[in-house]
Amino acid sequence: MKELYLYREMLRNLVAKELRARYKGSVLGFFWTFLNPLLMLVVYSLVFSFVMRAQMQNYAMFLFVGLLPWNYLANSLIQGTASLVHNASLVKKIYFPREVLPLSVVLANLVNYLLSLLILIPALLIFKVHLTAALAAFPLVLLVQTLLVIPLTLLVSVATVYFRDLEHIMGILTMAWFFLTPVIYPSEIIPPELKPLFNLNPAAPIIEAYQAVFFYGRWPDWASLGWLALGGSFFLVLGFRLFDRFQRRVAEEI
Amino acid sequence: MSTAAIEVKNLWKKFRIYYDRALTLKERLLFWGRQRYEDFWALKNINLTVPHGVTVGLVGRNGSGKSTLLKIISRILYPTKGEVRVNGRMSTLLELGAGFHPDFTGRENIFLNASILGLTRREIKERLDEIIAFAELGDFIDNPVRNYSSGMYMRLGFAVAVHVDPDILLIDEVLAVGDLAFQEKCLRRIRELQQRGKTIVLVTHAPKQVEDLCDMAVWLDKGEIRMQGEAREVARAYADWLAAQPS
Ligand SMILES: Nc1ncnc2c1ncn2[C@@H]1O[C@H](COP(=O)(O)OP(=O)(O)OP(=O)(O)O)[C@@H](O)[C@H]1O
Ligand SMILES: [Mg+2]
Repeated sequence: MKELYLYREMLRNLVAKELRARYKGSVLGFFWTFLNPLLMLVVYSLVFSFVMRAQMQNYAMFLFVGLLPWNYLANSLIQGTASLVHNASLVKKIYFPREVLPLSVVLANLVNYLLSLLILIPALLIFKVHLTAALAAFPLVLLVQTLLVIPLTLLVSVATVYFRDLEHIMGILTMAWFFLTPVIYPSEIIPPELKPLFNLNPAAPIIEAYQAVFFYGRWPDWASLGWLALGGSFFLVLGFRLFDRFQRRVAEEI
Repeated sequence: MSTAAIEVKNLWKKFRIYYDRALTLKERLLFWGRQRYEDFWALKNINLTVPHGVTVGLVGRNGSGKSTLLKIISRILYPTKGEVRVNGRMSTLLELGAGFHPDFTGRENIFLNASILGLTRREIKERLDEIIAFAELGDFIDNPVRNYSSGMYMRLGFAVAVHVDPDILLIDEVLAVGDLAFQEKCLRRIRELQQRGKTIVLVTHAPKQVEDLCDMAVWLDKGEIRMQGEAREVARAYADWLAAQPS
């Protein structure tokens, strides 16, 4: 950990590189960071107000609120699988704490998510979603989510070195996870008898917390957030430990 | 300082040589327990102590384990058995310009590359002018490095690496890059680092370079230390042995 701090400049540079390189060469460049969620918003609101006529009031906003943090999670995992194997030349030639590579992926996606809030908040206001003091809980929800995203991304990045097809499977795995998580549907539609099973999914209470804070203007469920924070902290320590153990042979296996 | 700069004790390194690499999940499950690889010992029982301020030359034929030893000391590879202790800030020159981003300019790559080598922003800024002057790239410093010739690329890589200002510098056959003038300059820089009391480990194929630059030398043969000691002695023995090999 202390060593990671010494390499903070590398982390900063990689995050900047990631954010810059993503849209490099496209005409609009960095504006895509904003345009992407904006276009998403336009498409969803058109589809669900005119084409599909969702039952739920303001469904497009509901979807938007859950989809943005979901993308933070899913993109971190998908890009995380490539973070070590696609930097093989670096890993084989230079010593640095290898955690820096997957962590830079998480941070870049975190920054992207935070920037997308600049679209989300005005959109919520325009669509007359009532914003309340519950917004104050947002940083906490984000922190708890990040406690899970970091170790997950660390683990998939190092696992991909040994199982290369994880890189291709990850898209499907995250899609399956997506449908098990109340992003496109509210959690109320889950049958009560399935609820305990459903609650095993740590992403569910997190997305629900975002929906509470941004969409319903309610405080999140503190109990489940608290448990997640506790579990997430353990998972974080475990993730770093396991990563350290498995990264030892990375330079020769990659 | 009483402790040595580098201490290697009973070091062994095993590689897996795969015949037919099962990399995918499906293959791994299918061929469970009969992974087709063979163990290969690249380093066998290496013991080496490098005192502070000493320059060590590492010689040996292709595949004798020189790069492997350097990578283990620099923590890129992990030892199978034994231990390695290093006291001081270390910088490794295995391949110049590893980690350059082709679309970034030379100047931007200095920041990126130096940060990968572990410098903080402030340290990089302090050294920026010196690095640029050393690389002698002129106006090209603000061009994307994908427009560089391979020599220019390596100049920049070398300039960054030697300005990390390490206590310990590990160099793997990179002194032979660039034109003659630049090679001279690299050698001068190495001598300057020696005078400032830095510890250097140098892999080379030229016995002459060992005699000129090094205090000590280690001769590796098939993963084992065949001889170690005073640079001139080892260099001569190695040169004689080379000459006697049928080629
Ligand atoms: N990642 C690896 N996987 C399997 N075998 C390896 C790996 N890296 C090196 N080896 C083997 O270890 C041995 C020593 O390699 P090494 O690169 O250390 O040699 P060297 O002394 O640096 O040679 P050269 O003079 O050609 O640079 C070689 O036989 C090589 O095939
Ligand atoms: Mg070599």
